Amino acid sequence: MKSRFLKTILTAGLSLAALTSVALAGTVRVTVAEYSAKTGPYFAEAEKAFEAANPGVDIQIEVVPWDVLLQKLTTDIGAGSNADLSIIGTRWLIDFVKQDVAEPLDQFITPEFKDRFIETFLSPSVMDGKTYGLPIAASARAMYYNKELFEKAGITEPPKTWDELKAAAEKISALGGGVYGYGLQGKEIETDVYYYYAMWSQGVEILDKDGKSGLGSDGAIAAAKIYKELIDKKLTQPGVTSFSREDVQNLFKQGKIGMMITAPFLSNQIKEEAPNLKYGVAAIPAGPSGARGTYGVTDSIIMFKNSQNKEEAWKFLDYLFTTDMRAKFTQGEGFLPVNKEEAKMDYYVNNADLKAFTDLLPSARFAPVIPGWEEVAQKTSDALQKIYLGDVEPDVALKATAEEINGILQK
Amino acid sequence: MSKLKRSIIAWALLSPLVVLSLFPFAVMFITAVKPQAEVLNPTWWPSEIRWQNFIDMWTVTNFGRALFNSLYTSLIATIGAILISIPAAYALSRFRFRGRGAFNQFLLISQMLSPIVLVVGLFRLIAALGLVDNVPTVGVIYMAFNIAFTVWMLQSYFATIPKDLEEAAWMEGASRGQTLIKVFLPLVTPAIAVTAIFTFINAWNEFVIALTLLRRQESYTLPIQVFSLVAGRYTVEWHHVMAATLVATIPVAILFAWLQRYLVRGLSLGAVK
Amino acid sequence: MTSRQTAIPYLLILPSLVLAAAIIFWPVGSLIEIATNDVNRFGQLKGWNDFANFSALFANADFISALWRTGLWTVLVVGGALLVSVPVALILNEDFYGRDIARVILMLPWAVSLTMTAVVWRWSLNGESGMLNSALMGLGIISENVQWLASGDLAFAMQVLIGILVTVPFTTTIFLGGLSSIPQDLYEASALEGASRLQQFRHITLPLLKPFINIALVLNTIYVFNSFPIIWVTTQGGPANSTDILVTHLYKLGFRIGKLGEASAVSLIMLAILLVFTIIYVRLAMKEREA
Repeated sequence: MKSRFLKTILTAGLSLAALTSVALAGTVRVTVAEYSAKTGPYFAEAEKAFEAANPGVDIQIEVVPWDVLLQKLTTDIGAGSNADLSIIGTRWLIDFVKQDVAEPLDQFITPEFKDRFIETFLSPSVMDGKTYGLPIAASARAMYYNKELFEKAGITEPPKTWDELKAAAEKISALGGGVYGYGLQGKEIETDVYYYYAMWSQGVEILDKDGKSGLGSDGAIAAAKIYKELIDKKLTQPGVTSFSREDVQNLFKQGKIGMMITAPFLSNQIKEEAPNLKYGVAAIPAGPSGARGTYGVTDSIIMFKNSQNKEEAWKFLDYLFTTDMRAKFTQGEGFLPVNKEEAKMDYYVNNADLKAFTDLLPSARFAPVIPGWEEVAQKTSDALQKIYLGDVEPDVALKATAEEINGILQK
Repeated sequence: MSKLKRSIIAWALLSPLVVLSLFPFAVMFITAVKPQAEVLNPTWWPSEIRWQNFIDMWTVTNFGRALFNSLYTSLIATIGAILISIPAAYALSRFRFRGRGAFNQFLLISQMLSPIVLVVGLFRLIAALGLVDNVPTVGVIYMAFNIAFTVWMLQSYFATIPKDLEEAAWMEGASRGQTLIKVFLPLVTPAIAVTAIFTFINAWNEFVIALTLLRRQESYTLPIQVFSLVAGRYTVEWHHVMAATLVATIPVAILFAWLQRYLVRGLSLGAVK
Repeated sequence: MTSRQTAIPYLLILPSLVLAAAIIFWPVGSLIEIATNDVNRFGQLKGWNDFANFSALFANADFISALWRTGLWTVLVVGGALLVSVPVALILNEDFYGRDIARVILMLPWAVSLTMTAVVWRWSLNGESGMLNSALMGLGIISENVQWLASGDLAFAMQVLIGILVTVPFTTTIFLGGLSSIPQDLYEASALEGASRLQQFRHITLPLLKPFINIALVLNTIYVFNSFPIIWVTTQGGPANSTDILVTHLYKLGFRIGKLGEASAVSLIMLAILLVFTIIYVRLAMKEREA
């Protein structure tokens, strides 16, 4: 009895091992990042439809949580067991290109194909004149505000400058009852970006013209002081360094904060989780000179150099970037359209929320294309946390961090 | 002191720890049964108890598949580790041989290497063998990581069993193998059971190896499946996460309740007299 | 003894030796290789680099403070768990109503995967919508929300508490096993001689429990030293690296920033520390036994 049980287990194990190790001719493995509960089903459907239309091609989708995507890619590539296609953060692309693991796609791209894309979103994936990735997800940031709280506090219009934002936050925080003016993110992914909104409005860039860190400049320090003042005057939620982006969004959904800056997908979440919340979307506040900036993000899907089935992989890419497939994905996840035809659809044209985002695109900054960007972002976030906690003065922390970053950039 | 009085004192002393131990479960349960609109509200009194969340969770999170994978890997790890450890523990407790001390130290050192520390190297090994995203492989790795502990536990237990019984059997002409199976093993079943439970729990809850080695959702084990609902998504459906965690915990909790006395007895290395 | 018989013990340990060596020690070799080489972020080796990875680590203030904090973390969690577990095991060893239920309840934290425990605590410790604040407020213990994870000191204290909580079940189980192995007649004899319960504890229970305390100490030290999920899930070592321990530092180096060489070096340093600890401890324990 016992031995039969063991035998079953062993044979089951062996047959499973056999199944997974034999790669069929025409197998295309695709690593995709899981953006929401809808990501998996979307790609499963795409796989099914594509395989039906292309007999002999076997698509294998591997859905990976975002937080561990870079780790998986790192270990995979190191061991040579990476997939054929993968979604990556476009900000990582330079490392992939430098280490020669990404395949340039120009041999496949026809003028018609290239023409499908909105230029702003395709360009971050182009390096040294070669296209290494296709923008599969694109997003920008804008300011959400709670209309009900604005009304209660007697504010008629969303603030256009940081001074107005401070005034509005004062009025909203004065309402009391666990309601705060401005939701400030202080933890985990994009903590640095949340600060750049203020920094860009001071006319400072992440890297200046000479390629040095802008963090030590007067404008950058002034921006940090704006946030520090908001915290000190209790115009933000308390304990900012324990709030990740998701935590701040949750506060907004509960109607506990007046304003926050985040991506279009919050609209989708509100629709499902807090349908009664009255909110609006407006531009990110400007600085004294009228400068302002939003963060543009694209994720790219890339092909690996060591792929054995590049033709089939390209076919699948071509299919993913047809207008209908794009629309289904973008609308489900709450991203911005990257496809020109798609952008003309009613869904986007008549959508006030999305318009606020697309209007900001001319002022969008993408993460600078430098190796070691993740380390720079990490250092910046660390410095900001020290400032928010009041451990170190803004000018001291930022100047020291600028030095460190310049050291990293020199390598 | 009367038993009643003793009971009151005992419970009073234990109460802080009891509250702290139950707190996470209370949070899991309350969040799991909240209607979605109330999940973000930290109230302890939801407006209604929504059992439907558990049913939704099952399909939304692909729970059945992950449950199967978890059972599969944990059973491979448990059965394998026990089968391999019994002879080694027997050798350590019944034979004096050169290198015995060295083998013991080898085991202790292998205990110190945790998966997170080894993960880079381990992945290269598995990838070189072409076994990434293979569920049984993960089971075998759990087996390897548990061997030190199982050999150790079994050995200290085996050492407490007097040799007389076995020697008596030899006198009657039984072979060493026969003695082992007929006399020795029945005596040590409690220790084997307890050691098996330890291994099972370790494998059931293991995270880092599964996270690194498993690729497709179909091969995820429960901890990874639940983690994937939380990690880096733009929005987290907390009621599903909590429901899944709770359900994933139940098998182990039942195992504990059922074997609780056994567990302690098996660990009492000198219990059998 | 015939040669066949001498071979028997080696044959018996062979399978476990081979499996453990293949899966656990082979990767260590690979780590040494990576740590002493110049590697790119995907782990492709670019040549020997004179221990540059190690010197880079020791020049890094974050690494040094993570090193000290790991020591603090290990001492606090292991020490705290031992201090809690001895009395708890003593109580659970008494005969009282509901003892079985109490045992099961106190074992429960062990039944949940550490990662999931950490996720639940993170959710509960949220400053504005966490259920811990809500419960404490409802009981009238606090009057305004506490931001549990906002500052490094408080966050680390909470992490230590969670660490102790999840370490207690295993430790208590080991002690219960030890207690049940102490023959009852020893107590009866000493009671006849008029020994108080405290004296009994000091002269009978504690000495006989000693080997079990040793086992718990060594195993817990190894586990806690290497423990990743609690700190990673609740704060990712933040704010500003103020709750980083070596494993979280290693993870950030290796998989966030892509310095696999330095990450492997951290792995080896951790291994060396544990080795030294165990050797010293085993020596001390042996000396004591001889004395």
